[in-house]
Amino acid sequence: MAKDSYLKKILGAENFSRIQSSKVLMVGAGGIGCELLKDLVLTGYGEIHIVDLDTITLSNLNRQFLFRQNDINKSKSLTVSKAVQHFNYLNAHLVSHHGNIMDTNKFPITWWEQFEYVFNALDNLEARRYVNKMCLFLKKPLMESGTTGFKGQIQPIYPYYSECFDCSTKETAKTYPVCTIRSSPTQPVHCITWAKEFLFHSLFDEVESDQNLTDPNQIRSETDNEAEIAFFQKESTELAELRHLITTADPPTFINELLVKIFKADIERLLLIDSIETRRGSRKPTPLDVVRYSSQLAGLLADVSNENILNLDTKMWSVLENIYVLYKSSEVLQERIVSGRESSISFDKDDEDTLNFVAAASNLRSSIFGIEIKSKFDIKEIAGNIIPAIATTNAIISGFACLAGTKYFTTPSHGTDYSAITHKSSTIFVGITPNKYITSGTLGPPNEKCPSDALVSRGVFKISPTDFTTLTLGWLIGQLENYGYSRDDISIQKSNSKLLYDIDYDDNVDLTLASMSGLKDGELILISDDSDQLESLELYINIAEKTSLPELVLRPKVTHDEPEQENEDGLLENGMDVENDGVILLDSEAENEENDDLLIIDDEPSPKRRKIA
Amino acid sequence: MSLNQIRLQEERKQWRKDHPFGFYAKPMKTADGSLDLRQWTAGIPGKQNTLWANAVYPITIEFPEEYPSKPPKVRFPANFFHPNVYPSGTVCLSILNEEQDWRPAITLKQIVLGVQDLLDTPNDESPAQEPAYRAYKKDRALYEKKVKEQAKKYASA
Ligand SMILES: [Zn+2]
Repeated sequence: MAKDSYLKKILGAENFSRIQSSKVLMVGAGGIGCELLKDLVLTGYGEIHIVDLDTITLSNLNRQFLFRQNDINKSKSLTVSKAVQHFNYLNAHLVSHHGNIMDTNKFPITWWEQFEYVFNALDNLEARRYVNKMCLFLKKPLMESGTTGFKGQIQPIYPYYSECFDCSTKETAKTYPVCTIRSSPTQPVHCITWAKEFLFHSLFDEVESDQNLTDPNQIRSETDNEAEIAFFQKESTELAELRHLITTADPPTFINELLVKIFKADIERLLLIDSIETRRGSRKPTPLDVVRYSSQLAGLLADVSNENILNLDTKMWSVLENIYVLYKSSEVLQERIVSGRESSISFDKDDEDTLNFVAAASNLRSSIFGIEIKSKFDIKEIAGNIIPAIATTNAIISGFACLAGTKYFTTPSHGTDYSAITHKSSTIFVGITPNKYITSGTLGPPNEKCPSDALVSRGVFKISPTDFTTLTLGWLIGQLENYGYSRDDISIQKSNSKLLYDIDYDDNVDLTLASMSGLKDGELILISDDSDQLESLELYINIAEKTSLPELVLRPKVTHDEPEQENEDGLLENGMDVENDGVILLDSEAENEENDDLLIIDDEPSPKRRKIA
Repeated sequence: MSLNQIRLQEERKQWRKDHPFGFYAKPMKTADGSLDLRQWTAGIPGKQNTLWANAVYPITIEFPEEYPSKPPKVRFPANFFHPNVYPSGTVCLSILNEEQDWRPAITLKQIVLGVQDLLDTPNDESPAQEPAYRAYKKDRALYEKKVKEQAKKYASA
């Protein structure tokens, strides 16, 4: 019997041949990608392109089953396509791309055009939004999927016919202002974040932190107090010096410098710039009297039996005990680096040395700012807020993504009119709620306030190199009138809200398109109608052989004149129907690499959590 | 496209159609010849029959990328004399504070009117600079003298 006879029987011979002759894109080759690629290959897709920018690490191996020990440090996209060759019975043609999907040089819009269907197997919001946007420009169907722990979800997206990825607000993990963390903490969590993401990270880690606590642009956006900015810079320099001491000084010297610089000298400097602006509701700090504690610390260190303190997980350590724990943990961490066993150390709540260091440092900072001390147990909970990725959930969700994807190929095609397929498709949620392991919901129409698909039409504006350097903005305005816009009512913006033209600003109309900085291949321009008749139009500039504007019929503009209702929580309801059983909550970009994907699903519909955008 | 872009153009349009008398507001021109809709300059006239009258006070309004989820930042020139203005010039006003009364529906017009209101009715509860706050609380004569001097500096033509 032929290898494909079952598939033909189930899908229908004609549909199966559509699958076999199709070219699809899979973005991401991690937790979901490994599972999904297996499924796609065994479903008979003719050509599968795989994009991933990552290389394989040890921690991937527990669930990304296409990878083995000796694949560590190799490219994920290249390794997966080699691995599936062992069972590539239907002869899928696999094309790997090691790179960032958002790289417009490597993956220009013309490259995207070749695919009939796109599968997302991504682990971060930014890339998901980007793929969603590209699929909207090209009207390509997209299968979105994600898991967190035991929960997972798929969402088929048919551009302009069903909700897109941006139609619902994704809840991101709480990040704190840099100034709150670095100069004006008021809660234990601020001190824990400081100890973990700033102090520990600056001293021992190399991987980029999720919380960018040293980004000068971020700092400038929060404060314009020059003294405070100078304080942050000096503190960063000092930490670099301390990091240097790890490998050049003995433990007592390193740790004493750490205590004196970070918990005493820095706080004294902070007091010098003490003002209404830098306090932001935090208490006036008291520098740690390091000298006062030094003889007691020596006493504790002299007796090995005191190491028991490290195990008192639920006790609130005293200041002296915190100093002791900081000393002991710093000593071990320093030794781990000096011995050459590790070149850097990342915080891991299950690595006792890193947890002890973070708990003690955070408590010392709390005591300086008059904030309550927490037990090591509590700090572990807060600092290690991590939901692990689970192989089985990934497998289930990938299976659903693949099966639901075939629906597209078993429904007669009507070009980019997706009305029929939208009605036949559904979102699927999995979880381990009793009686509700798997639930599904119909696909809602685009959210009428969604900036990605409901408020705007999109298309590709192709322009030849010659036309680009000779035709003017005035010419483009003339072309836009063909869509029904009026010259007097439109505005043209390039990216970053930079206005090129409107009725009050015609300085640029005689300039050529190429001469306006920011207009180039791969860039976007946005046209809006100030008379509120037609929807906005976003054009993707593509330098191509022949000049052409996309064929589009613009929809009437939807305006929202009704007063916005505020509920008792002060949040604005967005009026969306919650048709699904669950609300999709998206965590921030990968909090840690264990999260293959971060879609979190609530069990109860909770429209209040959908803040208006 | 972002909501930010659509909303900023909408604010520009609404301001063109209707803005309060004596005020001005416009986006800054950038080096590349475009107008930056995220950076505006504006003028706030002091109310008649107040210490602040007969002057137009310049401000800058900076809209963050997350606007309108997050509020814009409004600034007077550095060292502007007012109890609720930080030494840097940043205005401390509840409707401009994300944690307090900011709502995405608040318009540019409401913002500039809010700032105008604040001039003559400082908020005791949120001091932002020492000199003006102390004078306002302890030495009203000195406070009035300083405000009047400042009004002369920004006198309207
Ligand atoms: Zn949408």
